[in-house]
Amino acid sequence: MIAYKFLDAGGLGPFTGFPWPVGEWVEAPRADPCRQGVHACRVRDLPLWLGDELWEIELAGDVIPQERKVVAVRGRLTRRVDAWTPDAAREFGRYCARRTRERVGFLPVLSGFVGDVDRFVAAGRIPIAGFAAARAAELRDGAGGYEQERLAQASWLAGRLGLDERLL
Amino acid sequence: MRLERELACNEIVELVTAYLEDALTPTDRERFEEHLVFCDGCGTYLEQMRATIQLTGRLDDRLEPELEQRLLEAFRGWQTG
Repeated sequence: MIAYKFLDAGGLGPFTGFPWPVGEWVEAPRADPCRQGVHACRVRDLPLWLGDELWEIELAGDVIPQERKVVAVRGRLTRRVDAWTPDAAREFGRYCARRTRERVGFLPVLSGFVGDVDRFVAAGRIPIAGFAAARAAELRDGAGGYEQERLAQASWLAGRLGLDERLL
Repeated sequence: MRLERELACNEIVELVTAYLEDALTPTDRERFEEHLVFCDGCGTYLEQMRATIQLTGRLDDRLEPELEQRLLEAFRGWQTG
């Protein structure tokens, strides 16, 4: 299975600090979500796990699908998604800001999210801009609004980065 | 109103030790890490906790007998007023 993985700068796992080799299989004793295994994203999971570097990863062995990620026994980085750059991240932030303005910009109280998201984008805090946009949607449209907004963000990322939307 | 699965910063602070000791349930661990992705403040707090644990783990907790005796006497004196 082909999936994606965000890493910190220098190819490090964001929560473990594991230095991911490129092209080599990394194997865990088992796939145990959030404890052991290779954790990766489908396209729809990407907005939740934004990071410095985006990589395509091939997963093998048992792959456990989770609500917001997939976990496998084995994985290897196959290529870096070069289109994910600081510029692309800022563009994504501006997309989130535009969506927020369209959704809640005309509503009392909720319109405050517009300024929040703009400030996050200006400060380069892109992950929280995406989160705030989804929160604004959730507050306007109910629980489904959050998921819908995250899916829209994923779709934007897929289009902008040239990812396979079938993996959405 | 908050999403059911969403953790607030004060909850992250309460859970940080359990996170570092790998004592959270998979669901709570995921929620914790999701929060870290977008919350710089909690990310910094986690790193500070990690560094503190690393540094204190290196401390030698044995005291010189003379210093230990003086401290014990000082504490006894403090307890009795």
